[in-house]
Amino acid sequence: MFYSIFSFEIRYWLRQTSFYVYAGIMFALSYFVMVSAAGIFESLTVSMNTLTIVNSPIAINGLLNEMAIILYFFLPALIGGTIYRDYKHHMHSVIYSYPFQKWEYLLGKFMAGLTVSTFVMMAAALGIILGTLTPGTNPDVLGPFNLMNYVQPFVYYLIPNMIFFGAMVFAIVAFTRNINVAFIVILAFFLIQIFAQNLTADLDNKYLAALLDPYGAQANAYYTEYWTIFEQNENPLPWGEVILYNRLIWGGLGLVIFGLVYWGFSFSQQAFSFNFFKNKKGEAVTKKNFGSILTVNMPKVDMNFSFIENLKLSWELAKVDFKYIVSGWAFIIIALIGLLISLSVILLGGEIFGTDTLPVTWQMLQLPGTFFSLFINILTFLYAGMLIHRSRGDNMDQLIHVTPTANWTILFSKFLALVLMQMILLSIIMVAGIGVQTFNGYFNYEIGQYLFDLYAISLIHVVIWGLFSIFVHSLFKNYYIGFILLLIISIGITFLGEIGIEQTVFKFNQAPGTAYSDMNGYGRSLAPYFVYKGYWLLLAIAFYVLAILFFRRGLPGSFKERIQNAKEAFTSKLKLIFTISLIGFLGMGSWIYYVNNIKHDYISSQEWEKRTADFEKNYGKFRDIPQPRIVSSTINLDLYPETRDFEVAGSFVLKNKTAVPIDSIHIDHNNYISVFEFDRDFQLVLEDDSMNYDIYQLANPLMPGDSVLFTFALSNEENEILENESPVRYNGTFVNNSIFPRIGYQESAELSGKEARERYGLPEKPRMPAITDSAARMNNYISSDADWIDFETTISTSPEQIAIAPGYLQDEWEENGRRYFHYKMDSTIVNFYSFISAEFEVVQNTWNDVNIEIYHHADHTYNLDYMMEGVKKSLDYYTENFSPYQFRQLRIIEFPRTGGSFAQSFANTVPYSEAVGFIADVDTTAEDALNYPFSITAHEVAHQWWAHQVIGANVQGATMLSESLSEYSALKVLEKEYGVHQMRYFLKDALDSYLTGRTFESQRELPLIYNENQQYIHYNKGSLVFYALSDYIGEDKLNAALSDYIDDVAFQEPPYTTSLELLEYLKDVTPDSLQYLIKDMFETITLYDNRVEEAAYTEVNNNTYEVNMTLQASKYRTGETGERIYKNEAGDSLSVEIEGRRRPVESLPLNDWIEVGVFGTDSLGNETVLYLEKRKFTDILNEITITVDEEPTSVGIDPYNKLIDTISNDNRRPPSREDE
Amino acid sequence: MKLTLSNISKTYKNGVKALDDVSIEIESGMFGLLGPNGAGKSTLMRTIATLQAPDSGTAHLNDINILEDKQSLRKVLGYLPQEFGVYPKMSAEDLLHYFARLKGITDSNQRTEMVNTALEVTNLFEVKNKSVAGYSGGMKQRFGIAQLLLNDPKLIIVDEPTAGLDPSERHRFLNVLREIGTNHIVIFSTHIVDDVKELCTDMAIMNGGQILSHHTPKEAVKALDGQVWTKVIERDDLEQYENKFNVISSNFNQDNTLNIRVHGTEQPDGTFEAKMPDLADVYFVTLREEKEVVAA
Repeated sequence: MFYSIFSFEIRYWLRQTSFYVYAGIMFALSYFVMVSAAGIFESLTVSMNTLTIVNSPIAINGLLNEMAIILYFFLPALIGGTIYRDYKHHMHSVIYSYPFQKWEYLLGKFMAGLTVSTFVMMAAALGIILGTLTPGTNPDVLGPFNLMNYVQPFVYYLIPNMIFFGAMVFAIVAFTRNINVAFIVILAFFLIQIFAQNLTADLDNKYLAALLDPYGAQANAYYTEYWTIFEQNENPLPWGEVILYNRLIWGGLGLVIFGLVYWGFSFSQQAFSFNFFKNKKGEAVTKKNFGSILTVNMPKVDMNFSFIENLKLSWELAKVDFKYIVSGWAFIIIALIGLLISLSVILLGGEIFGTDTLPVTWQMLQLPGTFFSLFINILTFLYAGMLIHRSRGDNMDQLIHVTPTANWTILFSKFLALVLMQMILLSIIMVAGIGVQTFNGYFNYEIGQYLFDLYAISLIHVVIWGLFSIFVHSLFKNYYIGFILLLIISIGITFLGEIGIEQTVFKFNQAPGTAYSDMNGYGRSLAPYFVYKGYWLLLAIAFYVLAILFFRRGLPGSFKERIQNAKEAFTSKLKLIFTISLIGFLGMGSWIYYVNNIKHDYISSQEWEKRTADFEKNYGKFRDIPQPRIVSSTINLDLYPETRDFEVAGSFVLKNKTAVPIDSIHIDHNNYISVFEFDRDFQLVLEDDSMNYDIYQLANPLMPGDSVLFTFALSNEENEILENESPVRYNGTFVNNSIFPRIGYQESAELSGKEARERYGLPEKPRMPAITDSAARMNNYISSDADWIDFETTISTSPEQIAIAPGYLQDEWEENGRRYFHYKMDSTIVNFYSFISAEFEVVQNTWNDVNIEIYHHADHTYNLDYMMEGVKKSLDYYTENFSPYQFRQLRIIEFPRTGGSFAQSFANTVPYSEAVGFIADVDTTAEDALNYPFSITAHEVAHQWWAHQVIGANVQGATMLSESLSEYSALKVLEKEYGVHQMRYFLKDALDSYLTGRTFESQRELPLIYNENQQYIHYNKGSLVFYALSDYIGEDKLNAALSDYIDDVAFQEPPYTTSLELLEYLKDVTPDSLQYLIKDMFETITLYDNRVEEAAYTEVNNNTYEVNMTLQASKYRTGETGERIYKNEAGDSLSVEIEGRRRPVESLPLNDWIEVGVFGTDSLGNETVLYLEKRKFTDILNEITITVDEEPTSVGIDPYNKLIDTISNDNRRPPSREDE
Repeated sequence: MKLTLSNISKTYKNGVKALDDVSIEIESGMFGLLGPNGAGKSTLMRTIATLQAPDSGTAHLNDINILEDKQSLRKVLGYLPQEFGVYPKMSAEDLLHYFARLKGITDSNQRTEMVNTALEVTNLFEVKNKSVAGYSGGMKQRFGIAQLLLNDPKLIIVDEPTAGLDPSERHRFLNVLREIGTNHIVIFSTHIVDDVKELCTDMAIMNGGQILSHHTPKEAVKALDGQVWTKVIERDDLEQYENKFNVISSNFNQDNTLNIRVHGTEQPDGTFEAKMPDLADVYFVTLREEKEVVAA
């Protein structure tokens, strides 16, 4: 009997069109995603430049699991449907009387549903396989086909997940007889999973997170999160205890749920119903009044179908539909999930280095924004379908459809109900935001901003989707199809760029983003946003008219009949609306296209790539020609914040520092309106308008040692709504000297991606010149056309703003209603300077004879003291340990967050984003929160030494000299101020960022001294390495070496210094026994795999405890893509078999000093150090006995994670107590 | 008030010819559409009710072109489909207001009066606050009548309204219909002859998508006057009689003998006695004649 039920169901499904639709969707999507990942559309757009194999085991597993998320949405139909069908067609009363057992019925149905779901999922696998085999894909990113790569994900993840989700769906449908409820539950899991993914990034206990993820993705990530590119490409799909437990938990829970269904299911005919809100007693209804009647005298009524009355009617119908939505417990639960997720995203999301951000309103709106826009979209897609199909679902459609109410009135009521729902959902953000603000005692409620952002900016976006959803759902009878189609369209739009469709004008409901800053408000971003939204709204209205026409009224039997109905419904008014909106849409679209493509040049990213290649092909030959260098820069900059215009009149003194005469000067400039002059006769011999490259020939060559005055005038084209021609902001302009012309061919502008260079026939080129490249050493890494320059500037701006640039203020005056500032630097600086103008408040202080100023937005006073303190403490430490400060002043200047979330150091000037410190909610007592306004300040002040005194040559490793050393310097200031606990948090974060960063490497990971401006290396690894070095050799020794180094290389003329030179200073102060550290940490990529194998202790007597531990020490090097190497140059390595491990543990030969610690716990629960010493390890396995005088609660090897180790949490373990 | 259908045909996608060149005129009063299951009654009614378009033909109510001006017809239409449901968790009163609104009654006083009248007429006033989804079959059917009355319709179409009702509910239901039908056209379909017998002023018998006959019940019965004969026979002899005579129906007596009714212009033989024809005879005779036509 089981078999006949099972096979009946299977045969049933195989005859259903919907089965093939589901399978077709999965196949097509998977195929598309795979061919697109494998580069089939590369010819339409930019080169991929990746090392990642797209069909590696882990990549296939990832893709299949993503596809499976769509499948889970089909489960209510596939698995729930098998049992729901019997109810729907009232078959259950018949079927349940047949002679089969409960288990046969339930298991037959469930297994059949599961099998059919597996078939659908296999369509996705097939799509991926065919995708990898499609000609035209890029063979470099494809590995060989291996069937196991597809089988394993099914066995490990997909089938267990289908059992869990399937059982849940099955249970819900069996008991509630409602497929929508099952759908909502799947949706709830999906939302929670998105949220959990974000959350686990912050979660210390990754083990727990791995177990609690019902999809199993976190369990997989537990093993793979730090996989290097090599490991991602080569390793098989991991299987380990965490994955096993996860699968047992969730697959098991699925079986338990199924068991509960078996236990609770009876062949009864009453659905179990949820009744959360009321518990009324049932009443028996008895029939009364059988007597005959009566004369029927219906009262006279007037019927009114005027437009106004129809609108009112729509509103009243909408209220009924709205009530239906919001009183449904499914909606209430989903909305609550949305609220909870928003709250936690807000509470956790704004953290930087563990420190919260103050709950400013833009943050409250932005943090849940990404999640919420998906959330509202999904609910819009879902409820649009429910509203459209609601009357048919309840079998009331015929009653409604024979009333004289017009289609548009009915559909307008659905639209209104949908918009009301969207407004309710949007207000969740406001509730969450204001809740969090109140909770944190932040009472600066900006209600106006909430309302504007939510009900003007966000609402119009979801309203457009709402109209479109109504259209799609009006076309399809099956609201699953409508929903999935909408989901695919909305996600697919964001991928259009990958097939070369880049312009927003072609992407439905897309618009340039709006961005808010406390300083600059929405800036110029609102107008283009609303232009595009208006454009799409017009199209949406046209779609909506089509929805009215194609609305399924009555029982149309054929497509022809629907066309006929549509023709009838196309009244002249609708025709008018349709025509106007369509003409408006096309008109606006043409205008947008005209502005972007014809009036202004539109350059696609592929075109950019090509032009960049052409630039190199045309002018690369000028790479090494002698050019004069800027020795002095004088800039007159007029800023007009009201119109966002600027004008520059500048001049450079160019000096021939070479030994040969120079007859022509090459100018590489921007596309601002430019006029160039020299103070002697010259001739323009080449002008390239597309790449903005000009060559000027001087009438008389510039002789060695001579100078020429080069003057330039720049201004912007007029700003338009859609075209921003100027970097000037209404409040908070921040520009640097990159807007000015550069001298000579700029090598830094060349294409750097390996594949891109190959594509255009350019020779391979490293991201930075080799460290041994003596020509490259003639430039520093910041400027290729200057060394140290004199700098002077006059800036004018609107009278309420203050303008700041490097240098000392010479004079300030007002003239013709404008305010002028004259700055002059009295010593030479790096050719790198900025201009800022905004309305500022200023706080001022001094350190010795150095004047410190912070220019800040009036409201942002929260962390000025920490910043001021940061500057002073930094000046203390750096002047004491490194060298004197070269300026008499240091200014921190706030700029809008829309300009970026960073701080940057220019000579005596530190522009500092409002997002990264001004609004931090610092808690200096917290163990795991960094005072980052202080530490970022310390980092930027350190750059006054590391970049503005010592600047590296433009070769590999240059950023170690600026960024790594600034990180190290700031760490030391932080450590002095706040003690070692802030270090731990910082280093832990640095370790995680380094290990994560290397998994995204697109070209090659390099050792620290060779790094090619790779952030995860120069910031994160750099701070780990220098901190560890100071720990091993001593802070004083390290600082002394750095100080010597500054003495020798600060303010040097070319050739500039390199990381190799610094390394010599470091080697000099490192004892022989620790020289290996230099090699491991700086010259190679070396990682440890240290762990506590076993640990136990015995109590010898009252105050003596003997701790016995087995510690594993192991290290390896990795190559450029992350392959592990255990052999040293001589070919030696260590290896040991450990019981219970599949493979022997290997290691490079060891002669390493590693910290060993034993820790206790004091009466307050704080950790106390009982023993901490560096010990020498020469073997992988080491038995160590240590005697301590308090009860140990934790032991560890490298317990503070000073060394780089991918699994840092096995470095410690609590010892077990053994009694003798 | 006159409903005129001309040459209406409809073939479904699966090939079933549901309406085959139907032409009929219907005037004010109760019109019974009688026919077995699958005769095409529902298709015809849905066509008149603007829910389905025919492949060909025209339909008018007075000067309203039903197929082309659906909205005008809907203003004067009351329709109760064979099966219907309602939104859950809504009371009869709320739902009736909902429908009244959909039918264009904008004035809330008028609407309340109308809803209350409809509730009273259908005797639902006492349970007006109960959820309609929880009503019994009879109450739900009465609710169906209540909703169709709201716009004081000129044309009322009810599709098999008495199926599944208990005798007293059915009785009551038909009474309400009869009362409404005095001034309007009420078309109701059924496969129960008694329904028609009890209240129709006009009727048609339908099968195979065609109108087989269209008479008033009285005329139809009168036409069979003197043509129906009856006899009590043994169970086993039925086949023999069926071969020999035009047996139109048979039913058991308590002693397991059979009463058979035979159609014939003359007395079949002396053992038969003449019987007053009734509507059931008309129905069966009509259906049999059609079968013969088809067979021939």
